[in-house]
Amino acid sequence: MSDELKINVEGVGELAVDEDGFIEDPGKWSEAVAKHLAGTEGVTELSEDHWKLVNYLRNYYMEFNIAPMIRKLCKETGFNLKKVYELFPSGPAKGACKVAGLPKPTGCV
Amino acid sequence: MTDNVKKHETPLLDELLKGPWPSFVKEFKTLQDKKAVANDLLGQLEYSYKTKLGYWKHGGIVGVMGYGGGVIGRYSSLAEMFPAVKHFHTIRVNQPAGWFYTSKALRTLCDIWEKRGSGITNMHGSTGDIVFLGTNTEELEPIFEELTKEGFDLGGSGSNLRTPSCCNGQARCEWACYDTMGLCYDLTQTFQDELHRPQFPYKFKIKMAGCPNDCVASIARSDLSIIGTWRDNIQMDQSAVLKYASDGLDIQKIVVMNCPTKCLDWNGKELKIDNSNCVKCMHCINVMPKALAPGKDRGATVLLGSKAPIIEGAMLSSVLIPFIKLEPPFKELKDVIGRIWEPWAEHGKNRERIGEFIERVGKGNFLEEVGIDPVPEMVKHPRENPYIFYDEYLEDE
Amino acid sequence: MSEKQARITDIGPPHHDKFLPPVIKENYGKWKYHENPRPGVLVHVSHSGAKIWSVRCATPRILSVISIRKICELADKYADGYLRFTSRNNFELLITKEANVDPAIKEAIAIGYPVGGTGNSLSNIVHTQGWVHCHSAATDASGVVKAVMDELFVHFQEQKLPAKLRIALACCLNMCGAVHCSDISILGVHRRPPKADDANLGKICEVPNLIASCPTAAIRPTTKNGVATVEIEEEKCMFCANCYTVCPALPINDALNDGVSIWVGGKVSNARSTPSFSKLAIPWLPNTPPRWPEVVSAVKNIVDVWAKDARPYERVGEWVSRIGWPRFFKKTGIEFTKHHIDDFKHCGGTFATSTQMRHNG
Repeated sequence: MSDELKINVEGVGELAVDEDGFIEDPGKWSEAVAKHLAGTEGVTELSEDHWKLVNYLRNYYMEFNIAPMIRKLCKETGFNLKKVYELFPSGPAKGACKVAGLPKPTGCV
Repeated sequence: MTDNVKKHETPLLDELLKGPWPSFVKEFKTLQDKKAVANDLLGQLEYSYKTKLGYWKHGGIVGVMGYGGGVIGRYSSLAEMFPAVKHFHTIRVNQPAGWFYTSKALRTLCDIWEKRGSGITNMHGSTGDIVFLGTNTEELEPIFEELTKEGFDLGGSGSNLRTPSCCNGQARCEWACYDTMGLCYDLTQTFQDELHRPQFPYKFKIKMAGCPNDCVASIARSDLSIIGTWRDNIQMDQSAVLKYASDGLDIQKIVVMNCPTKCLDWNGKELKIDNSNCVKCMHCINVMPKALAPGKDRGATVLLGSKAPIIEGAMLSSVLIPFIKLEPPFKELKDVIGRIWEPWAEHGKNRERIGEFIERVGKGNFLEEVGIDPVPEMVKHPRENPYIFYDEYLEDE
Repeated sequence: MSEKQARITDIGPPHHDKFLPPVIKENYGKWKYHENPRPGVLVHVSHSGAKIWSVRCATPRILSVISIRKICELADKYADGYLRFTSRNNFELLITKEANVDPAIKEAIAIGYPVGGTGNSLSNIVHTQGWVHCHSAATDASGVVKAVMDELFVHFQEQKLPAKLRIALACCLNMCGAVHCSDISILGVHRRPPKADDANLGKICEVPNLIASCPTAAIRPTTKNGVATVEIEEEKCMFCANCYTVCPALPINDALNDGVSIWVGGKVSNARSTPSFSKLAIPWLPNTPPRWPEVVSAVKNIVDVWAKDARPYERVGEWVSRIGWPRFFKKTGIEFTKHHIDDFKHCGGTFATSTQMRHNG
């Protein structure tokens, strides 16, 4: 998997990422990493709502080792899909999951 | 292609330039001098032919802003040998209904794709989209902007509504029992959000066929199959039947004996149809299109659940609504679609297609959720096993 | 920097009305009947008497923009710029002047697009991406299709088969090509269980989803060298590759074991018999690029035996229904093995449960 793709996060150091910019080791995630990754997804500042979504994803992943399904995410954060795309224009999978340091979503395309 | 890049030798693929059938290798070769990506694609494919393995990495996740689907990320695992295909993403472009084009529209698409990508396409992908094969992440937004400016939009990918598709229907077929292209366009527009922003447990495909011949394989290849049919008598021109007979068609052997419900009777002078027992299979109409035609009271059968084997095995769609009239604005159908999505989206497991969901929860329970009454047309036969769920039982008071 | 323009999204496809030839617009929903004057040509006649000729031409599905422009020139010259594609990757020139039909055919063939695929013929093979673009392919798609169609070419050009013949190819069990209801299906198969990349699996895959992805419950969570990974019970693996689809750290592709299987007797049309799945004829043939001679001759053999033996309008599956599976194997010379007997869920329904046999056949 590991190409020589890396990101350099201030105060954290170098982290390996895949071609799509997902961090390769979800254990290395931190808020500083999230802020850095948000920048790569066109989100310049993480608002309270952004953090609510990111923390929900992060906590869900820590508990269950999977990303929640979209409908569950909407229900439990109280954000509808439109709001999710407003927060993360590249979408919940590519945007929010990446910022939350989750493994890259896979599945049949 | 810059001069210092070497053209890959492709002795194995060159074997596929021979023979009468159009060669896909030729398609790559016509671009080999113009596009480094075509050259490296040939190089990598030749390497696959040599080693009997593919060299594409597992699906990447790339896209355009605001959409959760429509682009399939693809990266080569041999990027050092074939740098021009390091990124080789696919873009699905929603095809016009019935795959009708003008040369002008096709040239517009070609110009965008030649400028922004490999210049290689699939006409079309399995679901129905125009497929642009191979571009870089940086080109995705510009391509999207140029496509939408020309009136085209992306198709679906991931756990969303996939691009609906249909046969050419009433545009060029006398058998179409409803306006497949009109419905396809309408549903595609109505459900843009579901198409672009994944919100289902897994993919959901809709295919519309105008008659039971099902030229778009909707009964095998779509979660929701909408197949035209009729419920009155076959229209018949007796003199045209006689003409087929006098032209040498063995009506008894070819038509009558192939009728699945034995509802045809031919005495050499007259064809009689027991329409009450006709199952609208199309065979007699297919053989004698000038003499027979579907009836006038036309609509569709709506079926649900077909899919390829992953995960629990392949399925055909099964009957949800035996007969529905389909006239714009198709309100009843759209209402049903919303109702079938609801329980599946709510209770479906990750990567569970609706057909598998229905088998898991029980078709009877599913029908209750959706608010459709069970009817015998929905089953091949009633259950054979005596294990029955009852929700309640009586108790002595 | 130019001013940022409003982003256009959610417009859907262009309306088809823009692309319909005038004769179709005028006769939309008014067609009366059609005829098939020669292979590859359909003429549809309206209640008004108007006619449109469709000339069906094969493509390899993969088309360069250069070829599409050539096809556009053809459409401009003979069909006022109007054309459509079919669900089986053919294109059809939509011609309103009968005099243009023969020259259009001649020129299409001359520039490399054969005309045919109508009536009781073999139409184009529906297929997937294969090694050209897919990560889970067990075989190539376009190469096998090209080799098979070269061999069966005459059946595309002529209409002398007993019934329609529909062949499809999918390069793995994911079946983007949904080949499971074709007269003959060519299906890429894996035969070696996936090998876990233990060091990375826990990091890049969602283990619970991975475990749930296995239809035979062959995947169990485990820990190796202190990291979470999974264990595969190899004897339970049926090689569906679904685990690899959800987890890149379980590679399943393998040059020694991957190959091609052949399935027969499926159909989607409701004509005569009801739609049905294809059934296994040959479990495995080797991947032999560039021209897959074993696959080509196996497909040709089945087509030849069917074409000789079937009654008019009998699709492959209908023919087998009439003669029985034992005789299918006998006539085609294909060996029947234990792999032909289903052993996945609900397989009992496929066992023979009667004494009806054609012993003297």
